[in-house]
Formats: sequence, C-alpha cells, structure tokens
Amino acid sequence: MNETNKSENKISETREFIVNSASLKEVRSFSREVFEKIKIDQDLKDELVLAIAEAAQNIVKHAYKDIETSNDKMEIKISLGKNNELEIGFFDKGKPVDGAKVRHRNIDDVKPGGLGTFFIQQIMDAVVFREGEKPWINHLILTKQL
Amino acid sequence: MTYKVSEEGNISTVFLNGEIDMDVVDKAKELIMPLIEAKKEVHINLKDVQYMDSSGISVLIESHQKALEVGTKVTLKEISKSVLKVIMMAKLEQILNLD
Repeated sequence: MNETNKSENKISETREFIVNSASLKEVRSFSREVFEKIKIDQDLKDELVLAIAEAAQNIVKHAYKDIETSNDKMEIKISLGKNNELEIGFFDKGKPVDGAKVRHRNIDDVKPGGLGTFFIQQIMDAVVFREGEKPWINHLILTKQL
Repeated sequence: MTYKVSEEGNISTVFLNGEIDMDVVDKAKELIMPLIEAKKEVHINLKDVQYMDSSGISVLIESHQKALEVGTKVTLKEISKSVLKVIMMAKLEQILNLD
C-alpha cells in the first residue's frame, strides 16, 4: 500500500514491505524517493536512509527472530511537519519489543554486530518505542529536526 | 552486490561492487573468509561500493579479527566516501587497516 498525504504535513508518505532482508533495498529506494522531495544536503539524506534501513533491518533480525517464513508486512511512514520535524514511523507485527532493553553494544568493544542501533542513535534526535495500535504490535518512532 | 577477485603472489584483492547490506553479507563472508583462512593477505577494494550498513561493517570487523587470529592482514583499499563515513561513524578508522 502506498499513500501520500500532504494536507497536514509538508510530506507524509507510507509504504509497506514484506518483512525479509530482500526488502531492505526497496526500503532504501522508498526513503531516497521521499528525501528527493526535501531540500537537505546529500550527506544528511544518506544518513537518514541508513537510519531507516537499520531500523527496518532490526525488525527483520529481532522482531522476527526465529520466524523463518512469514508473509507479514512492515509499514514505514515518513512525515515532514510544517515545523521541519522529520518523523519516521515503523510498524510491525513481530514479537513485542521492550524499548528499555534495546541498547547498542559498547562501541569501544570492537566486535561484529550491535552497530545498527548505535547508527540510528547517532543520526536521529530521538528514538521512541511504543506499543502498536491494532493490527500492529510494535511502533518505533524516529525523529529529527531538519 | 557483485564482485571480482584478483590474485598476485600471496595477495588476494576482492573488488566489491554495489550495495552491501544484510541481504548479501553471507555472500561477502563466503567470499572473503576462505581467503583469510588460507592465510592470504586480503585487500578489499571498496571503490565501487555505494552503500554499506552495519551488517557490512560487521563483515569488515570479522575479517580483520580473523586475519589477526591466523597471522595475516586485511587492508581496505580505495574506500568510497559513503563507506568511509560509515566506518568513521562506527569509530573504526583507527582499528581497521585503511589505505
């Protein structure tokens, strides 16, 4: 489902993706398409695309951990308010995520893994986990003032 | 992601091309790790990698650590601007061998 709503926000676009790693490329393409409509520099666009892709990857890796095959979809909504606050919402039907337990690894402890959440926190101003409203289980909100 | 491997003496150069994310990291690992395990010095050329996420960075860390373990070396060559930015965001520029 694709949806564009420009009535209350400068930009508000929503798209659904099958929850699997092959969708991450489509997630990036969608994000790039949306950011093409916003006047921000390319470096910031690249960072925002990375943050979105990392959050989507976390859904695939963690919310759907041990779920081998699923046709479930996740939804990503990118909105830019009139005050230039960017809000990116992620909705999924995976295992409930306890936001208090989501932490990146100690960055000085160099080992593979655990960097995605660190990247998201580096790039965005705020990261908030909420219980999703039906039919969703998890609702993650990333915000950044542009 | 596509790739090419060239050999010169004990140096294997892996040219990666495209976007490196969770979907292709297993392919990248299957390509790079056997070279390290064979104690080759491995150069990973990242000139044509336009995007790398945390999964790709994990492969670089794992390759570097495996190389130290077996007594060889992994060097990252011609790192694209976008990949360098992610390496620096991960504070790995002093850890990995960059050239």
